[in-house]
Amino acid sequence: MDGSFDQTMKFKRKMDDEVYQAKDVFSVVYDALKEKGYNPINQIVGYLLSGDPAYITSHNNARVLIRKLERDELLEELVGNYLQQLDKS
Amino acid sequence: MAKLLIAGGRHPLQGTIKISGAKNAAVAIIPAAILTSAPVRIENLPEINDIQALVEILEFLGVHAQWESPSTLSVDASTLDKWEPPYELVKKLRASYYLIGALVGRFGRAEVPVPGGCDLGPRPIDQHIKGLTALGAKVEVEHGIIKVEAKKLIGANIYLDIVSVGATINIMLAAVRAKGKTVIENAAKEPEIVDVANFLNAMGAQIRGAGTDVIKITGVSELGPVNHSVIPDRIEAGTYMIAAAATAGNVLLCDVIPKHIDPIVAKLREMGVTVDVADDQVRVIGCHLPQAVDIKTFPYPGFPTDLQSLAMVLLTQANGSSIITENVFEGRFKHVDELKRMGARIKVEGRTAIIEGCSQLSGAPVRATDLRAGAAFVVAGMLAEGETVISDIGHIYRGYEKICSKLNSLGANITEID
Repeated sequence: MDGSFDQTMKFKRKMDDEVYQAKDVFSVVYDALKEKGYNPINQIVGYLLSGDPAYITSHNNARVLIRKLERDELLEELVGNYLQQLDKS
Repeated sequence: MAKLLIAGGRHPLQGTIKISGAKNAAVAIIPAAILTSAPVRIENLPEINDIQALVEILEFLGVHAQWESPSTLSVDASTLDKWEPPYELVKKLRASYYLIGALVGRFGRAEVPVPGGCDLGPRPIDQHIKGLTALGAKVEVEHGIIKVEAKKLIGANIYLDIVSVGATINIMLAAVRAKGKTVIENAAKEPEIVDVANFLNAMGAQIRGAGTDVIKITGVSELGPVNHSVIPDRIEAGTYMIAAAATAGNVLLCDVIPKHIDPIVAKLREMGVTVDVADDQVRVIGCHLPQAVDIKTFPYPGFPTDLQSLAMVLLTQANGSSIITENVFEGRFKHVDELKRMGARIKVEGRTAIIEGCSQLSGAPVRATDLRAGAAFVVAGMLAEGETVISDIGHIYRGYEKICSKLNSLGANITEID
Protein backbone atom coordinates (compact mmCIF):
# COMPACT_ATOMS: atom_id res chain seq x y z
CA MET A 1 0.00 0.00 0.00
CA ASP A 2 1.16 3.54 -0.76
CA GLY A 3 2.64 5.11 2.37
CA SER A 4 0.92 8.45 1.79
CA PHE A 5 -2.21 7.24 3.59
CA ASP A 6 -0.18 6.84 6.80
CA GLN A 7 0.26 10.61 6.99
CA THR A 8 -2.11 13.15 8.44
CA MET A 9 -4.07 14.76 5.61
CA LYS A 10 -6.10 17.94 5.61
CA PHE A 11 -9.42 18.02 3.77
CA LYS A 12 -11.14 21.27 3.01
CA ARG A 13 -14.92 21.26 2.97
CA LYS A 14 -16.38 23.04 -0.03
CA MET A 15 -18.65 25.83 1.18
CA ASP A 16 -20.61 25.62 -2.08
CA ASP A 17 -21.97 22.26 -0.96
CA GLU A 18 -24.30 24.05 1.43
CA VAL A 19 -27.91 23.49 0.43
CA TYR A 20 -30.07 26.56 0.12
CA GLN A 21 -33.85 26.31 0.18
CA ALA A 22 -35.76 28.72 -2.06
CA LYS A 23 -38.20 29.46 0.74
CA ASP A 24 -35.41 30.57 3.09
CA VAL A 25 -33.75 32.62 0.38
CA PHE A 26 -37.00 34.41 -0.44
CA SER A 27 -37.64 35.05 3.22
CA VAL A 28 -34.27 36.74 3.86
CA VAL A 29 -34.37 38.68 0.57
CA TYR A 30 -37.95 39.85 1.21
CA ASP A 31 -37.11 41.12 4.69
CA ALA A 32 -33.90 42.83 3.55
CA LEU A 33 -35.67 44.66 0.71
CA LYS A 34 -38.51 45.73 2.97
CA GLU A 35 -36.14 46.96 5.68
CA LYS A 36 -34.33 49.14 3.10
CA GLY A 37 -37.57 50.69 1.84
CA TYR A 38 -37.93 48.87 -1.49
CA ASN A 39 -41.03 47.10 -2.76
CA PRO A 40 -39.93 43.45 -2.35
CA ILE A 41 -42.29 42.02 -4.98
CA ASN A 42 -41.26 44.49 -7.68
CA GLN A 43 -37.59 44.03 -6.92
CA ILE A 44 -37.73 40.22 -6.91
CA VAL A 45 -39.76 40.19 -10.14
CA GLY A 46 -37.22 42.56 -11.68
CA TYR A 47 -34.41 40.21 -10.70
CA LEU A 48 -36.20 37.12 -12.01
CA LEU A 49 -36.93 38.83 -15.34
CA SER A 50 -33.58 40.49 -15.98
CA GLY A 51 -31.15 38.33 -14.01
CA ASP A 52 -29.51 41.48 -12.69
CA PRO A 53 -28.54 41.17 -8.98
CA ALA A 54 -28.57 44.99 -8.78
CA TYR A 55 -32.31 44.59 -8.06
CA ILE A 56 -31.49 42.99 -4.72
CA THR A 57 -30.05 45.03 -1.87
CA SER A 58 -26.72 44.00 -0.36
CA HIS A 59 -28.33 44.53 3.07
CA ASN A 60 -28.14 41.37 5.23
CA ASN A 61 -26.20 39.63 2.43
CA ALA A 62 -29.44 39.30 0.43
CA ARG A 63 -27.72 39.92 -2.93
CA VAL A 64 -25.23 37.13 -2.33
CA LEU A 65 -27.91 34.79 -1.02
CA ILE A 66 -30.27 35.08 -3.99
CA ARG A 67 -27.42 34.07 -6.31
CA LYS A 68 -27.04 30.77 -4.43
CA LEU A 69 -29.97 29.40 -6.43
CA GLU A 70 -30.53 29.57 -10.16
CA ARG A 71 -33.40 31.78 -11.31
CA ASP A 72 -35.24 28.80 -12.81
CA GLU A 73 -35.16 27.07 -9.42
CA LEU A 74 -36.61 30.15 -7.75
CA LEU A 75 -39.29 30.45 -10.43
CA GLU A 76 -40.18 26.73 -10.11
CA GLU A 77 -40.71 27.22 -6.39
CA LEU A 78 -42.93 30.26 -6.96
CA VAL A 79 -45.04 28.71 -9.72
CA GLY A 80 -45.29 25.39 -7.89
CA ASN A 81 -46.45 27.08 -4.71
CA TYR A 82 -48.97 29.24 -6.54
CA LEU A 83 -50.47 26.27 -8.35
CA GLN A 84 -50.66 24.29 -5.10
CA GLN A 85 -52.61 27.16 -3.54
CA LEU A 86 -54.98 27.15 -6.53
CA ASP A 87 -55.54 23.41 -6.10
CA LYS A 88 -56.43 23.89 -2.44
CA SER A 89 -58.92 26.68 -3.09
CA MET B 1 -1.19 71.31 -13.55
CA ALA B 2 -0.57 68.15 -11.54
CA LYS B 3 0.78 65.03 -13.23
CA LEU B 4 1.22 61.41 -12.22
CA LEU B 5 4.71 59.92 -11.98
CA ILE B 6 4.67 56.14 -12.25
CA ALA B 7 7.65 53.95 -11.49
CA GLY B 8 7.62 50.98 -13.86
CA GLY B 9 9.15 47.54 -13.61
CA ARG B 10 6.08 45.28 -13.77
CA HIS B 11 6.13 44.62 -10.04
CA PRO B 12 3.24 42.24 -9.25
CA LEU B 13 0.33 43.95 -7.50
CA GLN B 14 -0.60 42.14 -4.29
CA GLY B 15 -3.28 42.71 -1.70
CA THR B 16 -6.93 43.60 -1.23
CA ILE B 17 -8.97 46.60 -2.37
CA LYS B 18 -12.58 47.66 -1.96
CA ILE B 19 -14.51 48.72 -5.03
CA SER B 20 -16.32 52.07 -4.83
CA GLY B 21 -19.85 52.97 -5.89
CA ALA B 22 -20.58 53.03 -9.63
CA LYS B 23 -19.82 56.39 -11.25
CA ASN B 24 -22.23 55.81 -14.11
CA ALA B 25 -25.11 55.06 -11.72
CA ALA B 26 -24.26 57.87 -9.31
CA VAL B 27 -24.13 60.57 -12.01
CA ALA B 28 -27.73 59.75 -12.93
CA ILE B 29 -29.05 59.17 -9.41
CA ILE B 30 -27.92 62.59 -8.14
CA PRO B 31 -29.88 64.51 -10.82
CA ALA B 32 -32.80 62.12 -10.24
CA ALA B 33 -32.91 63.33 -6.62
CA ILE B 34 -34.41 66.65 -7.78
CA LEU B 35 -37.57 64.88 -8.98
CA THR B 36 -38.89 65.08 -5.43
CA SER B 37 -39.04 67.81 -2.83
CA ALA B 38 -38.85 65.15 -0.09
CA PRO B 39 -35.52 64.31 1.62
CA VAL B 40 -33.16 62.02 -0.31
CA ARG B 41 -30.16 60.17 1.07
CA ILE B 42 -27.64 58.50 -1.25
CA GLU B 43 -24.99 56.13 0.13
CA ASN B 44 -21.87 54.55 -1.43
CA LEU B 45 -21.16 57.47 -3.75
CA PRO B 46 -17.65 57.43 -5.20
CA GLU B 47 -15.31 60.28 -4.19
CA ILE B 48 -14.66 61.51 -7.72
CA ASN B 49 -14.65 64.86 -9.48
CA ASP B 50 -17.77 64.14 -11.55
CA ILE B 51 -19.80 63.80 -8.35
CA GLN B 52 -18.38 67.02 -6.90
CA ALA B 53 -19.25 68.81 -10.15
CA LEU B 54 -22.83 67.51 -10.08
CA VAL B 55 -23.30 68.59 -6.47
CA GLU B 56 -22.04 72.06 -7.42
CA ILE B 57 -24.60 72.20 -10.22
CA LEU B 58 -27.43 71.17 -7.87
CA GLU B 59 -26.38 73.84 -5.37
CA PHE B 60 -26.39 76.45 -8.16
CA LEU B 61 -29.96 75.38 -8.98
CA GLY B 62 -30.99 76.05 -5.39
CA VAL B 63 -30.79 72.53 -3.97
CA HIS B 64 -29.53 72.03 -0.44
CA ALA B 65 -26.96 69.22 -0.58
CA GLN B 66 -24.96 68.07 2.41
CA TRP B 67 -22.24 65.45 2.78
CA GLU B 68 -22.91 63.26 5.84
CA SER B 69 -19.70 61.33 5.13
CA PRO B 70 -17.31 61.22 2.15
CA SER B 71 -19.65 58.73 0.44
CA THR B 72 -23.10 59.71 1.76
CA LEU B 73 -25.01 62.71 0.44
CA SER B 74 -28.31 64.08 1.65
CA VAL B 75 -30.28 66.17 -0.84
CA ASP B 76 -33.18 68.50 -0.17
CA ALA B 77 -34.55 69.74 -3.50
CA SER B 78 -37.58 71.49 -1.99
CA THR B 79 -35.72 74.79 -2.52
CA LEU B 80 -34.91 74.10 -6.20
CA ASP B 81 -35.85 77.25 -8.11
CA LYS B 82 -33.72 77.33 -11.30
CA TRP B 83 -33.68 75.23 -14.44
CA GLU B 84 -30.69 76.78 -16.25
CA PRO B 85 -27.37 75.30 -15.05
CA PRO B 86 -24.39 77.33 -16.30
CA TYR B 87 -22.01 76.18 -19.05
CA GLU B 88 -18.92 76.53 -16.78
CA LEU B 89 -20.27 73.75 -14.55
CA VAL B 90 -22.06 71.63 -17.14
CA LYS B 91 -19.04 71.37 -19.45
CA LYS B 92 -17.18 69.40 -16.78
CA LEU B 93 -19.14 66.20 -17.31
CA ARG B 94 -21.10 64.44 -20.01
CA ALA B 95 -23.67 63.15 -17.54
CA SER B 96 -24.97 66.65 -16.91
CA TYR B 97 -27.48 65.84 -19.66
CA TYR B 98 -29.43 63.87 -17.04
CA LEU B 99 -30.43 67.25 -15.65
CA ILE B 100 -32.62 67.67 -18.73
CA GLY B 101 -34.86 64.69 -17.96
CA ALA B 102 -34.90 65.48 -14.24
CA LEU B 103 -35.68 69.20 -14.62
CA VAL B 104 -38.37 68.55 -17.23
CA GLY B 105 -39.84 65.87 -14.95
CA ARG B 106 -39.93 68.36 -12.07
CA PHE B 107 -40.69 71.70 -13.76
CA GLY B 108 -41.74 70.89 -17.31
CA ARG B 109 -38.78 72.92 -18.55
CA ALA B 110 -35.00 72.89 -18.73
CA GLU B 111 -32.24 74.88 -20.41
CA VAL B 112 -29.02 72.87 -20.28
CA PRO B 113 -25.86 73.60 -22.27
CA VAL B 114 -24.73 70.77 -24.55
CA PRO B 115 -22.61 68.70 -22.13
CA GLY B 116 -18.84 68.10 -21.98
CA GLY B 117 -17.04 64.93 -20.86
CA CYS B 118 -14.61 62.63 -22.68
CA ASP B 119 -14.03 63.08 -26.39
CA LEU B 120 -14.84 59.60 -27.70
CA GLY B 121 -16.01 60.68 -31.14
CA PRO B 122 -19.58 61.58 -32.09
CA ARG B 123 -22.04 60.94 -29.26
CA PRO B 124 -25.26 62.47 -30.53
CA ILE B 125 -28.11 63.21 -28.16
CA ASP B 126 -30.72 62.73 -30.88
CA GLN B 127 -32.25 59.73 -29.09
CA HIS B 128 -32.70 61.83 -25.94
CA ILE B 129 -34.45 64.49 -28.01
CA LYS B 130 -36.58 61.88 -29.79
CA GLY B 131 -37.76 60.50 -26.44
CA LEU B 132 -38.52 63.87 -24.86
CA THR B 133 -40.37 65.00 -27.98
CA ALA B 134 -42.46 61.82 -27.94
CA LEU B 135 -43.45 62.65 -24.34
CA GLY B 136 -44.85 65.97 -25.56
CA ALA B 137 -41.91 68.29 -24.92
CA LYS B 138 -40.77 70.94 -27.36
CA VAL B 139 -37.00 70.64 -27.79
CA GLU B 140 -34.71 73.18 -29.47
CA VAL B 141 -30.94 73.45 -29.57
CA GLU B 142 -29.93 77.12 -29.78
CA HIS B 143 -26.47 78.63 -29.29
CA GLY B 144 -25.18 75.47 -27.63
CA ILE B 145 -28.09 75.22 -25.21
CA ILE B 146 -30.70 72.47 -25.22
CA LYS B 147 -34.03 74.15 -24.46
CA VAL B 148 -36.89 71.88 -23.44
CA GLU B 149 -40.40 72.91 -22.54
CA ALA B 150 -43.48 70.80 -21.88
CA LYS B 151 -46.84 72.08 -20.68
CA LYS B 152 -47.71 68.51 -19.88
CA LEU B 153 -45.70 65.31 -20.29
CA ILE B 154 -47.79 62.43 -21.60
CA GLY B 155 -46.67 58.79 -21.71
CA ALA B 156 -45.74 57.40 -25.12
CA ASN B 157 -44.25 54.39 -26.88
CA ILE B 158 -40.62 55.17 -27.73
CA TYR B 159 -38.42 52.94 -29.85
CA LEU B 160 -34.74 53.82 -29.53
CA ASP B 161 -32.98 53.58 -32.91
CA ILE B 162 -29.71 52.78 -31.17
CA VAL B 163 -29.16 51.28 -27.74
CA SER B 164 -28.26 54.27 -25.56
CA VAL B 165 -27.74 54.26 -21.80
CA GLY B 166 -28.03 58.05 -21.61
CA ALA B 167 -31.24 58.24 -23.63
CA THR B 168 -32.82 55.33 -21.72
CA ILE B 169 -32.15 57.01 -18.36
CA ASN B 170 -33.13 60.50 -19.52
CA ILE B 171 -36.46 59.24 -20.84
CA MET B 172 -37.06 57.34 -17.58
CA LEU B 173 -36.40 60.52 -15.59
CA ALA B 174 -38.83 62.56 -17.66
CA ALA B 175 -41.48 59.83 -17.77
CA VAL B 176 -41.78 58.96 -14.06
CA ARG B 177 -44.05 61.95 -13.45
CA ALA B 178 -45.70 62.02 -16.88
CA LYS B 179 -49.37 61.27 -17.28
CA GLY B 180 -50.03 57.70 -18.37
CA LYS B 181 -47.76 54.90 -19.50
CA THR B 182 -44.43 55.15 -21.31
CA VAL B 183 -42.82 52.16 -22.99
CA ILE B 184 -39.14 52.32 -24.03
CA GLU B 185 -38.31 49.66 -26.59
CA ASN B 186 -34.77 48.68 -27.55
CA ALA B 187 -33.73 50.11 -24.18
CA ALA B 188 -30.17 49.73 -22.88
CA LYS B 189 -29.74 46.98 -20.25
CA GLU B 190 -26.77 48.24 -18.24
CA PRO B 191 -26.81 47.58 -14.46
CA GLU B 192 -26.58 51.33 -13.87
CA ILE B 193 -30.04 51.68 -15.44
CA VAL B 194 -31.37 49.09 -12.99
CA ASP B 195 -29.85 51.04 -10.12
CA VAL B 196 -31.47 54.30 -11.26
CA ALA B 197 -34.81 52.47 -11.59
CA ASN B 198 -34.36 51.01 -8.08
CA PHE B 199 -33.75 54.51 -6.74
CA LEU B 200 -36.81 55.95 -8.48
CA ASN B 201 -39.04 53.01 -7.54
CA ALA B 202 -38.05 53.40 -3.90
CA MET B 203 -39.28 57.01 -4.22
CA GLY B 204 -42.65 55.68 -5.43
CA ALA B 205 -42.12 55.55 -9.20
CA GLN B 206 -43.63 52.70 -11.21
CA ILE B 207 -40.84 51.45 -13.47
CA ARG B 208 -40.82 47.84 -14.63
CA GLY B 209 -38.43 45.94 -16.88
CA ALA B 210 -35.18 47.85 -16.24
CA GLY B 211 -32.32 45.54 -17.19
CA THR B 212 -34.33 44.18 -20.14
CA ASP B 213 -34.83 45.77 -23.55
CA VAL B 214 -38.40 46.88 -22.78
CA ILE B 215 -38.95 49.30 -19.90
CA LYS B 216 -42.47 50.30 -18.87
CA ILE B 217 -43.08 53.39 -16.80
CA THR B 218 -46.45 54.35 -15.35
CA GLY B 219 -46.39 57.99 -14.38
CA VAL B 220 -47.11 59.04 -10.79
CA SER B 221 -48.07 62.49 -9.55
CA GLU B 222 -45.63 62.62 -6.67
CA LEU B 223 -42.39 61.04 -5.47
CA GLY B 224 -41.41 60.62 -1.83
CA PRO B 225 -38.30 60.32 0.34
CA VAL B 226 -35.67 57.65 -0.29
CA ASN B 227 -32.50 56.18 1.17
CA HIS B 228 -30.51 54.36 -1.48
CA SER B 229 -27.08 52.73 -1.75
CA VAL B 230 -25.33 52.86 -5.14
CA ILE B 231 -24.18 49.55 -6.68
CA PRO B 232 -20.44 48.77 -6.99
CA ASP B 233 -18.56 50.09 -10.03
CA ARG B 234 -18.02 47.26 -12.51
CA ILE B 235 -15.63 49.38 -14.60
CA GLU B 236 -13.45 50.20 -11.61
CA ALA B 237 -13.45 46.50 -10.71
CA GLY B 238 -12.49 45.59 -14.29
CA THR B 239 -9.70 48.18 -14.24
CA TYR B 240 -8.05 46.64 -11.17
CA MET B 241 -8.63 43.10 -12.46
CA ILE B 242 -6.73 44.01 -15.64
CA ALA B 243 -4.01 45.78 -13.64
CA ALA B 244 -3.56 42.64 -11.50
CA ALA B 245 -3.45 40.41 -14.57
CA ALA B 246 -1.01 42.68 -16.43
CA THR B 247 1.47 42.76 -13.55
CA ALA B 248 1.15 39.00 -12.91
CA GLY B 249 -0.13 39.97 -9.48
CA ASN B 250 -2.51 38.47 -6.94
CA VAL B 251 -5.32 40.84 -5.98
CA LEU B 252 -8.58 40.34 -4.10
CA LEU B 253 -11.39 42.75 -4.99
CA CYS B 254 -14.15 43.21 -2.42
CA ASP B 255 -17.66 44.62 -2.88
CA VAL B 256 -18.27 43.56 -6.45
CA ILE B 257 -21.33 42.10 -8.17
CA PRO B 258 -19.72 39.18 -10.04
CA LYS B 259 -22.55 38.96 -12.59
CA HIS B 260 -21.68 42.47 -13.80
CA ILE B 261 -18.10 41.54 -14.61
CA ASP B 262 -18.84 38.25 -16.43
CA PRO B 263 -17.37 39.43 -19.77
CA ILE B 264 -14.13 40.52 -18.11
CA VAL B 265 -13.83 37.29 -16.15
CA ALA B 266 -14.43 35.30 -19.35
CA LYS B 267 -11.74 37.16 -21.33
CA LEU B 268 -9.16 37.01 -18.55
CA ARG B 269 -9.70 33.26 -18.16
CA GLU B 270 -9.36 32.86 -21.94
CA MET B 271 -5.96 34.54 -21.57
CA GLY B 272 -4.90 32.01 -18.92
CA VAL B 273 -5.38 34.32 -15.95
CA THR B 274 -6.80 32.68 -12.82
CA VAL B 275 -10.02 34.35 -11.65
CA ASP B 276 -11.76 32.99 -8.55
CA VAL B 277 -15.25 34.34 -7.99
CA ALA B 278 -17.02 33.99 -4.64
CA ASP B 279 -20.10 35.84 -3.36
CA ASP B 280 -19.16 39.53 -3.62
CA GLN B 281 -15.41 39.05 -4.06
CA VAL B 282 -13.11 38.28 -6.96
CA ARG B 283 -9.48 37.18 -6.81
CA VAL B 284 -7.29 37.66 -9.86
CA ILE B 285 -3.98 35.83 -10.14
CA GLY B 286 -2.06 36.85 -13.22
CA CYS B 287 0.38 34.77 -15.26
CA HIS B 288 3.68 35.91 -16.77
CA LEU B 289 2.72 35.29 -20.38
CA PRO B 290 -1.04 35.59 -20.97
CA GLN B 291 -2.47 34.25 -24.22
CA ALA B 292 -3.50 36.61 -27.02
CA VAL B 293 -7.27 36.94 -27.45
CA ASP B 294 -9.67 38.85 -29.67
CA ILE B 295 -12.09 41.30 -28.02
CA LYS B 296 -15.17 42.99 -29.43
CA THR B 297 -16.83 45.73 -27.40
CA PHE B 298 -20.61 45.78 -27.17
CA PRO B 299 -23.30 47.27 -24.95
CA TYR B 300 -23.95 45.31 -21.73
CA PRO B 301 -23.75 42.34 -21.30
CA GLY B 302 -20.99 42.48 -23.90
CA PHE B 303 -17.38 43.46 -23.20
CA PRO B 304 -17.53 47.10 -22.03
CA THR B 305 -16.07 49.80 -24.26
CA ASP B 306 -14.87 51.52 -21.08
CA LEU B 307 -12.32 48.72 -20.56
CA GLN B 308 -11.12 48.56 -24.16
CA SER B 309 -8.04 50.76 -23.66
CA LEU B 310 -7.09 48.84 -20.51
CA ALA B 311 -7.50 45.49 -22.24
CA MET B 312 -5.27 46.81 -25.01
CA VAL B 313 -2.46 47.49 -22.54
CA LEU B 314 -2.79 43.96 -21.16
CA LEU B 315 -2.68 42.50 -24.68
CA THR B 316 0.67 44.20 -25.37
CA GLN B 317 2.05 41.65 -22.90
CA ALA B 318 0.31 38.61 -24.43
CA ASN B 319 1.81 35.72 -26.32
CA GLY B 320 0.82 36.47 -29.92
CA SER B 321 -1.26 39.04 -31.77
CA SER B 322 -4.73 40.11 -30.66
CA ILE B 323 -7.52 42.02 -32.36
CA ILE B 324 -9.79 44.53 -30.64
CA THR B 325 -12.93 45.68 -32.44
CA GLU B 326 -14.54 48.81 -31.02
CA ASN B 327 -18.24 48.63 -31.79
CA VAL B 328 -19.57 51.30 -29.43
CA PHE B 329 -17.63 54.57 -29.97
CA GLU B 330 -15.90 55.11 -33.29
CA GLY B 331 -13.35 57.60 -31.94
CA ARG B 332 -12.13 55.48 -29.10
CA PHE B 333 -8.59 54.68 -30.26
CA LYS B 334 -7.06 58.02 -29.31
CA HIS B 335 -4.93 56.29 -26.69
CA VAL B 336 -3.14 54.19 -29.32
CA ASP B 337 -0.69 56.90 -30.38
CA GLU B 338 0.36 57.45 -26.77
CA LEU B 339 0.77 53.70 -26.19
CA LYS B 340 2.91 53.49 -29.33
CA ARG B 341 5.16 56.17 -27.88
CA MET B 342 5.67 53.80 -24.96
CA GLY B 343 6.78 51.04 -27.33
CA ALA B 344 3.48 49.24 -27.97
CA ARG B 345 3.09 47.77 -31.46
CA ILE B 346 -0.49 48.50 -32.47
CA LYS B 347 -2.04 49.04 -35.88
CA VAL B 348 -5.46 50.66 -36.22
CA GLU B 349 -7.74 50.26 -39.21
CA GLY B 350 -11.17 51.81 -38.81
CA ARG B 351 -12.81 50.29 -35.77
CA THR B 352 -10.19 47.53 -35.46
CA ALA B 353 -6.85 47.52 -33.66
CA ILE B 354 -4.26 44.77 -34.06
CA ILE B 355 -2.02 44.46 -31.03
CA GLU B 356 1.29 42.61 -31.17
CA GLY B 357 2.13 40.94 -27.89
CA CYS B 358 5.36 40.52 -25.91
CA SER B 359 6.13 44.25 -26.16
CA GLN B 360 8.59 45.74 -23.73
CA LEU B 361 7.01 49.08 -22.89
CA SER B 362 9.24 51.97 -21.93
CA GLY B 363 8.33 54.90 -19.72
CA ALA B 364 7.42 58.11 -21.54
CA PRO B 365 5.51 61.35 -21.02
CA VAL B 366 1.90 60.73 -22.11
CA ARG B 367 -1.33 62.72 -21.98
CA ALA B 368 -4.56 61.25 -20.61
CA THR B 369 -6.78 61.65 -23.67
CA ASP B 370 -9.88 60.55 -21.74
CA LEU B 371 -10.88 59.00 -18.44
CA ARG B 372 -10.38 55.32 -19.26
CA ALA B 373 -7.36 55.99 -21.48
CA GLY B 374 -5.81 57.74 -18.48
CA ALA B 375 -6.31 54.61 -16.36
CA ALA B 376 -4.83 52.52 -19.19
CA PHE B 377 -1.69 54.71 -19.15
CA VAL B 378 -1.40 54.18 -15.39
CA VAL B 379 -1.33 50.40 -15.96
CA ALA B 380 1.02 50.79 -18.94
CA GLY B 381 3.32 52.88 -16.76
CA MET B 382 3.47 50.10 -14.16
CA LEU B 383 4.50 47.63 -16.89
CA ALA B 384 7.09 49.89 -18.52
CA GLU B 385 10.81 50.12 -17.97
CA GLY B 386 11.63 53.42 -16.32
CA GLU B 387 9.31 56.24 -15.38
CA THR B 388 6.10 57.41 -17.01
CA VAL B 389 4.60 60.86 -16.50
CA ILE B 390 0.90 61.30 -17.26
CA SER B 391 -0.50 64.78 -17.85
CA ASP B 392 -4.15 65.93 -17.99
CA ILE B 393 -4.88 63.68 -15.02
CA GLY B 394 -8.10 65.56 -14.32
CA HIS B 395 -9.70 63.05 -16.67
CA ILE B 396 -8.62 60.18 -14.40
CA TYR B 397 -9.87 61.84 -11.22
CA ARG B 398 -13.24 62.41 -12.88
CA GLY B 399 -14.00 58.71 -12.56
CA TYR B 400 -11.58 56.86 -10.26
CA GLU B 401 -11.74 57.24 -6.50
CA LYS B 402 -8.28 57.44 -4.91
CA ILE B 403 -6.69 55.52 -7.78
CA CYS B 404 -3.13 56.30 -6.65
CA SER B 405 -3.58 55.26 -3.03
CA LYS B 406 -5.55 52.15 -4.02
CA LEU B 407 -2.82 50.99 -6.43
CA ASN B 408 -0.02 52.02 -4.06
CA SER B 409 -1.64 49.89 -1.33
CA LEU B 410 -1.12 46.96 -3.72
CA GLY B 411 2.57 47.75 -4.20
CA ALA B 412 2.52 50.25 -7.08
CA ASN B 413 4.67 53.36 -6.95
CA ILE B 414 2.58 56.30 -8.18
CA THR B 415 3.15 59.88 -7.07
CA GLU B 416 1.31 63.06 -7.91
CA ILE B 417 3.76 65.77 -8.98
CA ASP B 418 3.39 69.42 -10.05
